[in-house]
Amino acid sequence: MADMKKAPPVIFPWEEKKKEYEKILGDEEIVKRLWEEFDMLAYMFIWFLVTAM
Amino acid sequence: MAEDMEKLYNKRMDRYLKANHREKPDKVPFRPFAAEAVGAFYGLNAQQVTHDVDQGMDAIVRMCKEFDIDATVSNMVYVWTGLTESYGTKYYGVPGIDLEVFESFQYREPRNDDEAWMRADDYDRFIEDPVEFTMNVWAPRISHYFEPPDSKNTWKNSLAWLKGGISFMYYGMKIGAHVQRMKEETGTVSCLSGALKAPFDVLADKYRGFRGISYDLHRQPDKVLKATEAVAPHMLNNALLGADPEKKVPISHWMHRGATGFFSEEVFKKYYWPTLREVTEEIWKAGYQTIYYAEGKWGKNLKYLRELPEESIIYHCDKDDIFEVHRILGEKFAISGGVPNDILAFGTPEDVRKRVKEVIETVGKDGGFLLDAEAIMQQDTKKENFKAMADACAEYGVYKN
Repeated sequence: MADMKKAPPVIFPWEEKKKEYEKILGDEEIVKRLWEEFDMLAYMFIWFLVTAM
Repeated sequence: MAEDMEKLYNKRMDRYLKANHREKPDKVPFRPFAAEAVGAFYGLNAQQVTHDVDQGMDAIVRMCKEFDIDATVSNMVYVWTGLTESYGTKYYGVPGIDLEVFESFQYREPRNDDEAWMRADDYDRFIEDPVEFTMNVWAPRISHYFEPPDSKNTWKNSLAWLKGGISFMYYGMKIGAHVQRMKEETGTVSCLSGALKAPFDVLADKYRGFRGISYDLHRQPDKVLKATEAVAPHMLNNALLGADPEKKVPISHWMHRGATGFFSEEVFKKYYWPTLREVTEEIWKAGYQTIYYAEGKWGKNLKYLRELPEESIIYHCDKDDIFEVHRILGEKFAISGGVPNDILAFGTPEDVRKRVKEVIETVGKDGGFLLDAEAIMQQDTKKENFKAMADACAEYGVYKN
């Protein structure tokens, strides 16, 4: 059986990216949201190459 | 949007959705999957529609204006070579470059393991992390420009990733605008959103190739199975991320190696079906139907599809006997198809009309049926036969409730 929850649509997780910031002075949520949105687009691009192109 | 066009669109959407959900709408929807045929109708060759997305989309709008089409694919020439050339794809024969301008793009299978995009000893790495493998191993192998991360970078590698991303976004924006144009200018529903591939098909089509997977089924069958299970969640994610936010139109699913000509029923049952069933059920739970566009003949494998929840799929019939398919699957799922492509290419309008009448009066009698060709229509489709199909659907497809 495949574990459908095993692989979220993420390449470079926010938790990993956050470690690169010494400190987030402002609203972390904005930074996180945008990071995750574009990471998801990159994920879509990778699978688009495989499944659609 | 003009009021009359909005009314027409809403009427067609209602018709399309009812048929997909096995109801009886006001008439049988005409839902053609026309690819290079559309270009041929309006004087465009395969190179033009495959490379120039604007010309291709203009032709689709012209088709929707000229014929009474309820729903159709926004761009059935699904490989946009503008994008695939930006990162130097190795596996396509491209019309106008490798092929004559009138030939459809060709997918070139690897001929041996050295040419395979995923080698026989790559399974463990693929199973561990299919995304990592695809980015760092598969992508460099399928491209003239991408480099693996452990090698020296080149400017062509950097540029290829940049251009690939840009063209992906560009194409997405084009499709979005085009779907809106279809709606506003022609009242035609864009019939699909989102894309599923069966995990086994992904391995067989794009990673190992047909020869490779055939050997693997004998030499390392456990790894084939584990690989389908590893990639299945990504196929689910991929399908849902592109799906209709309104949860109306279904997700597409082009089905290949589960056709009976390729592998045995045993292979279908053990390797092709389990993960496909699981992913389809998850898609259904998320609120979407999937169109099972089953290319070729599926014969004795059809019975397994009955395990799926009622209405979770629309089954598109290609080379199987559609009357038999209706008998096996019609109680649970809508059926589409009906008109053989060889009649559209070599027959007469009267042949087409006769066939449409026959299919509508049997398979379509109680609803849950959408008229289409058996397979994607390419440049050999005669325009007069396409017109006959559209006209016959309008004439014979009205349900007298």
